[in-house]
Amino acid sequence: MSNWEIFTWITVVILGLGSVVVFILFLKDIKEILKKFNKEEK
Amino acid sequence: MHELATIDYIIIGIYLAGMVSVGLWFAKKHTDFEDFFLAGRSLTTPLLITTLISTYYGIDVLFGDSQLGFTNGVVAWFGYARPTYAFFLIAAFLLAHRLREDDFKSLPDILDKYYGKKTRYVGAVTSFIYSLPALSLYGFGMLGDVILGWEPIVGMLILGGIALVYTLTGGFWAVALTDSIQFVLMCVILALAFPYAMKLIGGFDAMIEVLEPSYFDTMGDMSIWLIIIYASTGLSILVDPTFYQRIFAAKSYKNVRNALVIGIFIWGSYDWIITILAMAAKVAVIQGTLPMDVPPDAALLKVMVAALPAGALGLFMAGVLSTEMSTLDSYCLVAGGNVAYDIYKPAFKPEATDQELIKTTRQGILLSWVLGFIMAISFDQMLGLWVFMASILISSVMVPILLGMYVPKFRKPLAGFLSAGLGLGSTVILNIYIMTNGVFDVEEETYIIQWFGIDFIQEFIMYITVPISLIGFFVGVIFDKGDPHE
Repeated sequence: MSNWEIFTWITVVILGLGSVVVFILFLKDIKEILKKFNKEEK
Repeated sequence: MHELATIDYIIIGIYLAGMVSVGLWFAKKHTDFEDFFLAGRSLTTPLLITTLISTYYGIDVLFGDSQLGFTNGVVAWFGYARPTYAFFLIAAFLLAHRLREDDFKSLPDILDKYYGKKTRYVGAVTSFIYSLPALSLYGFGMLGDVILGWEPIVGMLILGGIALVYTLTGGFWAVALTDSIQFVLMCVILALAFPYAMKLIGGFDAMIEVLEPSYFDTMGDMSIWLIIIYASTGLSILVDPTFYQRIFAAKSYKNVRNALVIGIFIWGSYDWIITILAMAAKVAVIQGTLPMDVPPDAALLKVMVAALPAGALGLFMAGVLSTEMSTLDSYCLVAGGNVAYDIYKPAFKPEATDQELIKTTRQGILLSWVLGFIMAISFDQMLGLWVFMASILISSVMVPILLGMYVPKFRKPLAGFLSAGLGLGSTVILNIYIMTNGVFDVEEETYIIQWFGIDFIQEFIMYITVPISLIGFFVGVIFDKGDPHE
């Protein structure tokens, strides 16, 4: 496996896993934000 | 190329309906203008990462990077994409902190504080022109044609219209939320696309064997001047109004800094995979899997259609649409804010209520969309328009903002006004002159004009306009005998 290929697989992992982790953290935050909106509406 | 299966169309349909739903959900939930325009200054690090990345990665990056990767190889990443990460770091550690020190809402707010109302209005006009969604709408025309087989104008109206609807109704909350969905969609699908592309061409080793060694030369055969120009386009991040908007919308400076530092790894990975997929497309052409006449800017889409199975292709296409929608919505919102908050309120109605401002912002969003649409269907060469729009911001507001930010004694009203005004005026005049009197070189993909025996390309305009803005600034500093503003 060449260095180019190893580097590419690392970027695949960063992009794929990294974006999913960020999205999970985003979902955690957004729950709180949506709760706030619903409270204000009531 | 529209060779999609039914499942692909269903996925794209669900995605588009989801985007509109988010906008409609937020339609009546805004309490004030700050909530509508800056999401109540409550964006956390994950939200900032998703909205920053998806906003900056529009179709120009998707196809610009891939075009260069297809024709030149890894230099697309090392020469074109990599320098921009240095500017992100500068923004994270040197700029964002200063911008959070005051209660700014927009880029012209900064100019107003440093130099007064006149410079604010020049900045607002510059920001409005820069934010017109002409390129995004043109991109939707192309995507509608390539993906769905629609006439370009139909793609612009339907796909661009969907982004318009949720931005108009939902404001920045809808933009940030849809950006987040779009972010994960475009990143995951791109990561998944790599193994499929390798399977299509016979693995990474086949790519190394088939492509010329120059494809793996980190600086390729690009001239140093072109590399400097490419690198300097990254400067725009330092004065980009949508970037500023996200800094102002963050909960704190730390959120911005962390988002940018983490974001650089994701940005870098995204750019690299785009480059490699484009190189895989070149291999597919050499191997005969793709036709010889595939246009370089369509190579990425072509290789994905050939490599991805049904369902995955629909997700990829939704990801491509996401890439563009997240850019269009953000810029339209900023343009709307320029009209309402930066011009209408200070110039015509200082006592405007929040509800009036939200209403006027919505009108501004609509106006920017319509003007962008007219430009998208009027210009033959969108690349010329892209260069014009990229240079206008750097040439006009970069000097007064950065100098005013770091040297408070330079905050003289005449300095700001001359710098921004001359930068804006010279950029408009020179671009129009070259686009009307120059020749569009199809090979170089730019306008060229003969000046003093040299081929002057449109991209070089910034070498003239930025010094003009700088000279105007110091002329103003010298001749304005008053105290610094504030």
